[in-house]
Amino acid sequence: MRDKTSRFGVFYLSLFFVMLYLPVLSVVLYSFNASSSTAQWTGWSLEWYRQLFRDRTIGQAFRTSIQVAVLTAILSAVLGTFTAVVSMWVSARMKKALQGIMILPLIVPEVALGVSLLFFFNALRLPFGILTLVLSHSLFCVPYVYIMVRLRLAEIDASIIESALDLGASTWQMVRTIILPLVAPSIVTAALLCLAMSLDDVIISTYMSGPRSTTLPVHVFSMMRVGVTPKVNALCTLILVGTFFIIGVSQLITKKRRFAK
Amino acid sequence: MRTWKRNLLAVPILLWIGLLVGIPMLLVVALSFLSRDHLGNIVYQFTLDNWRKVVDPIYLRVFWNSLLMALLTALITLLVGYPVAYITSNLSPRRRALSLGLIMLPFWISSLLRTYGWMILLGNAGVINNVLMALGLIERPLPMMYKFGTSLVGTAYMLLPFMIVAVFNSVDKLDRSLLEASYDLGASRWKTFFHITIPLTLPGIVGGFTLVFIPALGLYFVSDLLGGGNTVFLGNLIHTLATRGRNRPLAAAFSLGMVALALMVLAFYWKVTKDKTGEGLFQ
Repeated sequence: MRDKTSRFGVFYLSLFFVMLYLPVLSVVLYSFNASSSTAQWTGWSLEWYRQLFRDRTIGQAFRTSIQVAVLTAILSAVLGTFTAVVSMWVSARMKKALQGIMILPLIVPEVALGVSLLFFFNALRLPFGILTLVLSHSLFCVPYVYIMVRLRLAEIDASIIESALDLGASTWQMVRTIILPLVAPSIVTAALLCLAMSLDDVIISTYMSGPRSTTLPVHVFSMMRVGVTPKVNALCTLILVGTFFIIGVSQLITKKRRFAK
Repeated sequence: MRTWKRNLLAVPILLWIGLLVGIPMLLVVALSFLSRDHLGNIVYQFTLDNWRKVVDPIYLRVFWNSLLMALLTALITLLVGYPVAYITSNLSPRRRALSLGLIMLPFWISSLLRTYGWMILLGNAGVINNVLMALGLIERPLPMMYKFGTSLVGTAYMLLPFMIVAVFNSVDKLDRSLLEASYDLGASRWKTFFHITIPLTLPGIVGGFTLVFIPALGLYFVSDLLGGGNTVFLGNLIHTLATRGRNRPLAAAFSLGMVALALMVLAFYWKVTKDKTGEGLFQ
């Protein structure tokens, strides 16, 4: 297909991408500024990274965040895949109901969801910490796994499933040997997305964090409220590097799948 | 297996959502009718006080601020994002993949980082003021932080990718031969755009509107960092009431007010797109 875009179109798109990435690049650039103020550039420095690694609170928050994110990704991958696979067997009405229900956590405003869970866990006398964080994060992660796995399931040739069942495989055998291997790449990609979303969540985590289990974003938010300091820039830059690592892994998995076809 | 037996498989999922969304939401409804004592403890006594406060002119102002913020965010993201989606769908396959990648990448980047970026750009000692002063265009820094507009810029920036992806899915399905036909029949570019392109991509526009509007109601960390709390939005108010303010019944009432605003937009989405399960929003 010939490129039908006008010069103005390309110009607009380029300008848009500059604006889209300018804030991100500014954060990265000023993390290397020797001066503690953005008012002037006084040369390159790694001083802020050094200060960062000496900060125990940040290390603790980081560990909490990683634990929560990994557990959330695993729980969400299991529940989301289960829902997607189950929706192949249930009645048409139940299938519709499941679709609607899975959208629910995504359309209720996050603040309302956070407040409701705060009241609920409080009423249950559940201590706020890793458990409450994982449960609440899985709420907005499971739907994404469900959607991504369902889209992949829709691509699977139904005759493969039928022939497996005709040849005497039990339903469970068929799921284990045919469906799960086929949707595995989607599950992994979705789980990585959950990992990133859990690591990034501010709103729900604010309500779910316990006194000794603050997540990294909640801590970063409180640092940012004080104002602009290069230490925050350095921390943000490291988080960005971590994010790109996750994206790289997920890209690798998608690429592999494409070659496998 | 009988149908009802197969439906039993769905029970764990229904329980999970019922436990984490259903019951907590019912709790919020119940709580919004309860009182509290001076220490912020909940007293089991029926009252309409919280709801009376919600419709009090002072607090209605907060609803108005949030509504305005969400509407303007949706409008700005549409005006900026529609051309991006349109141009991208017309690109050659390679450039199109690159453009789509660049549009989706911010989904993965920390939302706090993206907000903080604007603090770096717009602050009194920020990048934009530095550049303008170095060029001699201004003598002292322009105050750009802590305004309604600052929060608006940050919120729109945060949600822009949602709008672009929603619109792109619609624009990409648009049958280009219809546009050719319109030109052949003598319609101008603008006429074709408003009479053919816009109506046919309406599902994407309304989908994007919904996807942007709902989170825009509650991105309180953006308005907190960029707006400095100078304009009170629903998200900030609920957050303060539920935590430091220790007024949970009132926080519950305002949360339901926020849910009501979200439902209004969803009803609009359902009416226009007939997508009852809302699945179309997330594909």
